[in-house]
Formats: sequence, structure tokens, C-alpha cells
Amino acid sequence: MKGMRLLLLGCLAVLLVAAACTTTQQVTGDVGILYTKGTGPMPTLLATKQIDGYIAWQPFVEVAPVAHIGKVITYSGELPPAGRWQNHPCCVLAARTDLMGSNPALVDAMGAATILATRYVNDHPSEGAEIVADWLAGKGNFTYGNVTVSSVEVLDRAFPTVKFVNEPSEAWMNGQVEFIYALRELKALTGSLSNTTDTQSKALLFDTGPYTRAMAMIGAGKITAPPAERDPVGVGYLLSDHDASLFVAVKKWQYFNDTYGIALKPHDMTATRPDVVDLLVNGVKVAELKLIPADAGPQLMQLAATNTIQFAYVGNPPTIAAIDKGTPVKILMALNDEGSGVVVVTDSPATDWDSFVRWAKERSAAGKPIKMAAPGKGSIQDVMLRYALEESGLSVKEVQA
Amino acid sequence: MRRPLGIILPILLLIVWEIAAQSINNQFILPRLETVVPVLLAPTVDILGTGSLVHNALVSLERVGAGFLVALAIAIPLGVGMGWSQRFDAIVDTTIQLLRPIPPLAWGPLAIAWFSVGINSMVFIIFLGAFFPILLNTIDGVKSIKKTWVEVAQTLGASERQVLSKVVLPGASPTIWTGLRVGFGIAWMCVIAAEWLPGTTSGLGYLTLYAYNFGQMHYIIAGMITIGIIGIAFDFLFRSVEDRWFCWRGLER
Repeated sequence: MKGMRLLLLGCLAVLLVAAACTTTQQVTGDVGILYTKGTGPMPTLLATKQIDGYIAWQPFVEVAPVAHIGKVITYSGELPPAGRWQNHPCCVLAARTDLMGSNPALVDAMGAATILATRYVNDHPSEGAEIVADWLAGKGNFTYGNVTVSSVEVLDRAFPTVKFVNEPSEAWMNGQVEFIYALRELKALTGSLSNTTDTQSKALLFDTGPYTRAMAMIGAGKITAPPAERDPVGVGYLLSDHDASLFVAVKKWQYFNDTYGIALKPHDMTATRPDVVDLLVNGVKVAELKLIPADAGPQLMQLAATNTIQFAYVGNPPTIAAIDKGTPVKILMALNDEGSGVVVVTDSPATDWDSFVRWAKERSAAGKPIKMAAPGKGSIQDVMLRYALEESGLSVKEVQA
Repeated sequence: MRRPLGIILPILLLIVWEIAAQSINNQFILPRLETVVPVLLAPTVDILGTGSLVHNALVSLERVGAGFLVALAIAIPLGVGMGWSQRFDAIVDTTIQLLRPIPPLAWGPLAIAWFSVGINSMVFIIFLGAFFPILLNTIDGVKSIKKTWVEVAQTLGASERQVLSKVVLPGASPTIWTGLRVGFGIAWMCVIAAEWLPGTTSGLGYLTLYAYNFGQMHYIIAGMITIGIIGIAFDFLFRSVEDRWFCWRGLER
């Protein structure tokens, strides 16, 4: 019996070693970047040493330290060059232009609901974190071997690194334009935004009218009821605390209904992630909203392009790339600034960005360049990491399988 | 004697799993049994706000049932037509052969564009998975009907309609049933993949992928085991029907 056990264990070991040898990937620059189509595979890749670190949006930055598989060396606002990424734009609220034309008051109302929920999140951060933990994980526990952590604790750690803001200010718009330059460098823009001046780019990207009108309605203390939509309206979002305002608007619908006369009331009150909600204005249902989660922004933009969703709570680069390709959407307002972070394996000598750069240079000189994962080519995280590495004198190449 | 022998390897695998998990000591590569078993023993407890194993299994079964029924409703009549009429077969066969090698999940982007997110696009993908095995087995079943049976019926004055319903369909039914069994198995695999499409919020496939985001490997493995058990259970059901109703197939020669 014992011999058999050992034999099987041996076979398994040989298989694992063989797999490790055959899947070794080629890194040609100082640092290799591996795209994982969202954050899903990152903790596993890190824990199995297939990557040396990753850059992700929250709360997946915090997953590494709580699982004892990695440590956070920097949050995105502090990435070099100094000051460049402070308050960098991240997720945005975007809407399809045909809906903005046919029912502008509905778009304004969604804007107002979002702004009010953002305010609530800023006034009640710990309740906000709890609501997000409920939405993302039913407030359940995460288990990593012997370690068990509450999702509420993970979100509590993540929340202070995200800045919840809505104002589409001039500085914020300029920050967005930075991403256009970055995406051009990555040759990700080949359509209407491939060759525009900054002013032309802004005209193509933004429509801040809904924000201005929503703020006016909130200021006047009265939300204008839009004409009722007959068909359900699709609202896409990312499973990230960046979209906390949407989750809070739904979970605290009663509060917003009673206080401001606007609410996103879920059909199923017991659902942790409701997928159908009614948009109520002054107690009257004006639209049924279908809430559609996705793993990453490009998926949401595909849904917007096929008119499956009319609103998206989504990262800005996928939106920019979609507008470039002619998807009829506009960016209405910000949802959050910052809120991403860089993680490296626990046994890395890096503790901050500078020591990370030293480590990367040593590994590159030794012929074993480090591999970092990013959610997708041209994502906010990818752009920031590339800029920061190149700023620090490191060349970056996509890992070739 | 076959069953007791068959059980030895799974038990051995469990032992190897536990020993390997303990020596590797990295739950991302292999979580320990004691983290997975409690999840399986509490199938009604909510997992990461996505609902319980039972709830998600029922959701997945509902989807696979819908896709399977649509596939059955289209594939059997089409297969009987193709098996019965050489001319019809000549017209349709090339198209079928062209479409058949495309993996159902490759239709994902189009499914979402055509049927929008949610149950319809998933049913479409499951339908594609179940359709071809049912169709091919139906064609095969009809074609392999003994000419003598048909001729006897015709000599006795049966109309074409009677020949089809009284001779061809019953005669082909064991092979069609095999097609249904294989089709359901593939449909069950497809539902898991279909639930990875954006916009999904429930189902066993969704649950495993969602747990991946948080590195919750014990949920993933519990989900995989549940998928496997349900797959075996349905295969067993199809087989027992086969043994009971279609055992005559082996008898006539």
C-alpha cells in the first residue's frame, strides 16, 4: 500500500514538474507583463509563483496580504512619476447616446442617484465597505488554507485607498486625456480618437450635461421625474468596490427614497446581488433596470455596443477604446479616483517602489526578469504600471507564451 | 464484484490528494480535503453571496434542461428526415458538417449579441452542445433500420407516415436514446462554460469562476465535485432507462 501511495505521489510530482517546465514563458524586456483578462487568475498565479507580482483594482489588491501570498508595495496614486497619478481617474459612469437623446431626464436621474450614493459612501465609509462586502461576497469569509478572513475586513482595508468622487472637473478630464495618449502608444486607438487634438478628444468623450443637471436637481431638493421607459434599461457594472455608489444606491434604496425621492429599489429584497431594480422617482417607477455584472470593462463595452446595456459603471480606458471604435457612448461623470495597487510575492526583497525597481533590475541583469500580471492590455492598471516602470528606467514587454 | 473494485481507485485518489495537499501546503495548488468536505456537507449554505450549492445546481439544471429540450425538439425531426430521405440528407449534410466542429463556447460573443445576456444566450450555447450528438445518432438510428422491416410494413399496406411512426421511430429509438444521453452529458459541460459569459449571476459554472476571483479554491473544487456528481447521476438515469426499455436492441439479430 505504501509503495503504491509513493508511486502515485511520484507520478503527480513528475507531472507537475513537467508542466512547470513546458509552460515557462519568454520575457524579453526588463520586466514582463502578463495579461489575465480580469483579476480572477491573479491570486492563484501569485501563490504558485508563476508571476512575481500584479497590479489590480481593489479589493483584489488586499486579497494578497490577507491570504499571506503577497504584499502591497504601493497604491496607484503614489506610482511614479511623482504626482502624475495622484487622483488619477478610474471608473466612470457612461451612457449610450441614443438613450441620452430619447430620455435625457432618465439619464439625469441616474446621475442624481449615483451622486447621492457617492456622498453617502463618503459620509459613511464603514457602512459603505460593509455594503460592498455584502454585494461582492454576501459578507462571507474567505478561506486561504489555515487563514480565514471576513470579506468585511478585506473591504475595510481596501476602502481608504479608493477616492469616491463624481465631479467631471477640468483636471479630471485632462487625466482622462492622458489615457488617450497612453492608449495611442499601445496602438489601441485606431478609430475616431487616433489623431484628435485634446479639445476634439474631450468633445468626443464627455457629456457633462447630466452631471450639471443632476447637481441642480439635488441642490433644488427636487428630482424631476422622467417619462417612464417601457423597455428595461440595462446597467452594466464591475464587481469592484469602485462601483460602490451603485451597490449603496440599491442596498440603501429606502433611505434615498425617503430623503431625496429617488431610489433603485430591488425586486428581490433578500438577494445579495440584486439583478433587477426599479428606478423610482418621487415614489413612482420610471424604469426597470437590469443590473449586469462583468469581469472586465471590455466585456461591458461589448454589451453597450450591442445595446444590451445603456449605462455602464466601468473603467475609463475600455470606454475610450469603445468610443474610438464608434460605440455610441459618452462619459457622464467620475465614480472614483485611484483605487488600484501593486502587489509582489511575500519573499520579494521589495518593500516600496524604489526597492521594487532595484529588485527588477537585479533580476533582469541575472537573466531572470520578473513577471507582473495586469488585468488587460490598455487597462488603467496596465497603463500606469508601464509608465511607472519606464519612468524608472525599465523596459516592458508583453510575456510571450 | 465490479462496483467494490471500482471504488478502490477513488478512495486511493482521495488519500493521495490529502497527502499531496499536506506536503505541498499551498491551497492555491491543492486545498486540503477538510476545507472542501464541509462545503459539500453544507449544500444549502450561501457561498460568497452567490447562493448555495443546491440553489446554483438547480439554476444550472434548469438552463441545461431548456437547452436540451430545444435541441431534442429540433434534432430528432431533422435527424429522422435526414436518415429517411437521401435527397434531404444531401441538401443539409454539408451545412451540418461545417457547423459541427465549432465549439459551442466560440459562439459566446455572437450569442450575446443575438440573444442578449442571460438565459437565452446560455440556452443557445447548451442547445449547440446537445444538438449534434442527438442529430447524428438519430440519423444513424434511422439509417440502420432493417430494410426488411420497412418492406414488410409497406407490403402490408402501411402509408409512409405509418412506416415512420410505427417502424422507423421505434426502431431507431435505442440509438436516439444514446444520442440523448451523450447530448445531455455535453449539454451539462456546456452549461458550466456558458455560465462564464458576462452578465451571469448564478449557476455552478458561475460560482466556480466567481470563487476564482477571491482565490477560494475549496469552493471551486466543491463546485467541480458537485458538477461531476450531477453529471454521473444523470448518466446513470439515462443508462437505467436504456437497460429497461431498450434492452431488446441486443436481442434481435
